[in-house]
Amino acid sequence: MDINEIVIISGKGGTGKTTLVSSMVPFLKDVVIADCDVDAPDLNILFGNEIREEEDFVGLQRAQINDDMCMKCGQCYDKCKFDAISEDIVLDTGKCEGCGVCEYVCPVNAIEMKDFVIGKIFVSDTKYGDMVHARLIPGEEASGKLVAQVRKKAKEIAILKGAKNIIIDGSPGIACNVISSVTGVNQVIIVIEPTLSGLHDLKKVHEMVKRFRLSEYIVINKYDMSKVELQKIEDYCEKEKLKIILKIPFNKKLVEAITKKTIPSLYDSEFFKDIGFEKFLLSLK
Amino acid sequence: MKIAVCAKGEGLKALVDERFGRTDQFVIFDMETKEVKTVENSAKNAGVGAGGQAVRILNEENVEVVIVPEVGPKAVDALKAFEIKAYRLGESKTVEEAIKKYESKDLKEFELNVVKGGLRRV
Amino acid sequence: MKIVVLSGKGGTGKTTISTNLAINTKNAILIDTDVEEPNSHIFMKPEIEDTISVTKDYPKVDIEKCTLCGKCGEFCRYNAILPAKNKVLIFKEICHDCGGCQLVCPTGAIKYEKREIGNIYCGTSKYGVKMKYGDLNVGEVSGVKIIENLKELVENEELVIIDAPPGTSCSTVAAVEGADYAVIVSEPTPFGVSDMKMVVEMLRNMNIDFGVIVNKAGLGDDEIYEYCDEENIEILQQIPFDLEIAKLYASGSILSHEIENYREKFELILNKIKK
Repeated sequence: MDINEIVIISGKGGTGKTTLVSSMVPFLKDVVIADCDVDAPDLNILFGNEIREEEDFVGLQRAQINDDMCMKCGQCYDKCKFDAISEDIVLDTGKCEGCGVCEYVCPVNAIEMKDFVIGKIFVSDTKYGDMVHARLIPGEEASGKLVAQVRKKAKEIAILKGAKNIIIDGSPGIACNVISSVTGVNQVIIVIEPTLSGLHDLKKVHEMVKRFRLSEYIVINKYDMSKVELQKIEDYCEKEKLKIILKIPFNKKLVEAITKKTIPSLYDSEFFKDIGFEKFLLSLK
Repeated sequence: MKIAVCAKGEGLKALVDERFGRTDQFVIFDMETKEVKTVENSAKNAGVGAGGQAVRILNEENVEVVIVPEVGPKAVDALKAFEIKAYRLGESKTVEEAIKKYESKDLKEFELNVVKGGLRRV
Repeated sequence: MKIVVLSGKGGTGKTTISTNLAINTKNAILIDTDVEEPNSHIFMKPEIEDTISVTKDYPKVDIEKCTLCGKCGEFCRYNAILPAKNKVLIFKEICHDCGGCQLVCPTGAIKYEKREIGNIYCGTSKYGVKMKYGDLNVGEVSGVKIIENLKELVENEELVIIDAPPGTSCSTVAAVEGADYAVIVSEPTPFGVSDMKMVVEMLRNMNIDFGVIVNKAGLGDDEIYEYCDEENIEILQQIPFDLEIAKLYASGSILSHEIENYREKFELILNKIKK
């Protein structure tokens, strides 16, 4: 079962990742979609999906203090390295990192580690294929675990339905949730804009991605924003032997499409033809 | 000697799994007694560090050789530390096939030289 | 006073707003807590006066004292420590530095050592404003410690403007915690509104007062205004979508420095907040 997994990330947010992912989907055969941008899941807005499954997502266990048994000895307050327990022994679950030290040191067993729901995973039907997406409860740890769970579910569905592709919308940044989106995929597309910050962020993301042995491609969005910055990016890509696989000029209609909650490549298909979208998709095969 | 194969399902007829750390099960075959045992891989639910935990499970089962499709860097460190040998899965589709290929010395050993970060694919 | 600028969705203009606010405010100090992808310094162009290394502890096992009993491995909920045949494996990047392994070790074989996870840079920008920013090393899984250190450094400052990371996860919470006021920067598109709602939920849970700046106004539709109206959320300012602004941003220039009437806009924002 050779399922091609491709992830689109951006390092910096707002470069057009979701615009690109959504535009690619109608052209990918037998595809399962995974929205791994779990603290800002947006793909569902464009796909008019119907949720058919939903399940609670449990992260790391968190501490729970039984006030009736608590002797206020202060051991837990003393040993908690995350400041999750106050001096008067009140637990801030938001700060609790689930290490279990408090449970271990409590002399009267007044603390127990319990399952804690930090989000939800959804499976939806869309016109183009199944979509797995998730929502983290705001403020919770952007766990790589939730991303891993979304991907696992997407893989299960892909295998079950004999899908050929899994396309993953990743999150901004370079930390655990992004690492989790990238592990084990075949191809990574990094979407950037030609700005000073864009180049800076590209360098960091590339540093992270190149540790994984997979095919890496660059897509430059709004490339006509700055000739100077575009040149810098092209120079950098040449130096690092990075392939720039697509360049998209600024087009107000793309925002229009998103505002109308339609897929950009279907809304302004002329534009996508002009920029060589077909060739881009072919070169990914 | 006990040999394990990453699997989806039970017994020798099970299909091989394409992951190591997060494989569904391990099918363990005792080459002397010919006994077959399927063990659930509880490491697959780990948030991070699944590779290391999967190796720990193999060690608990006294496995000496494991046939893998790929291994991440933590798994590599762990395999070395637990002195478990790894062999590349290759084209085998079922556990039975993989074991047969191992027995006829058709499988390549996985060189456990760690390269920083990332997944290694067969 | 601590003002945090955040957005939910990335790319809405957080850094544009926070840098411009900092420049137009007397005695403000800017801290950039988007430690995975810090950008403010690109615009502020500070001369770095101080570099502070941020470290995390990780366990080191004294193999002479270790009996390979396995208790540390059993205890660790992050799978960061794994006792093997002749040694104990430590996976530093996933260690949460909780101190648990040392506590459970019966022979005192575990000690902690420091390792660097990133840096904090302090300097004064070419516009005369003091700033600090954090930078997380590639490969690390969490930047929260750097964010907490950054905030400690400016604890006693009179007016701090905090450029927060995108999203609503733990990094953003760490940046937002303890702020007196939050400025949500959003754009009038469905993604902007959707992500803004998550930020609003988070801020309400944290009991922090907030207002909204609509950036790239004119691009998109009116859903955001309807939402703010329904929810009684104050719109502090609007910045119209303008290719000129985009070009200035691309080249790393500060808006209010280049375009006079924006300076007023930013002064107005601060006045509204102070009320």
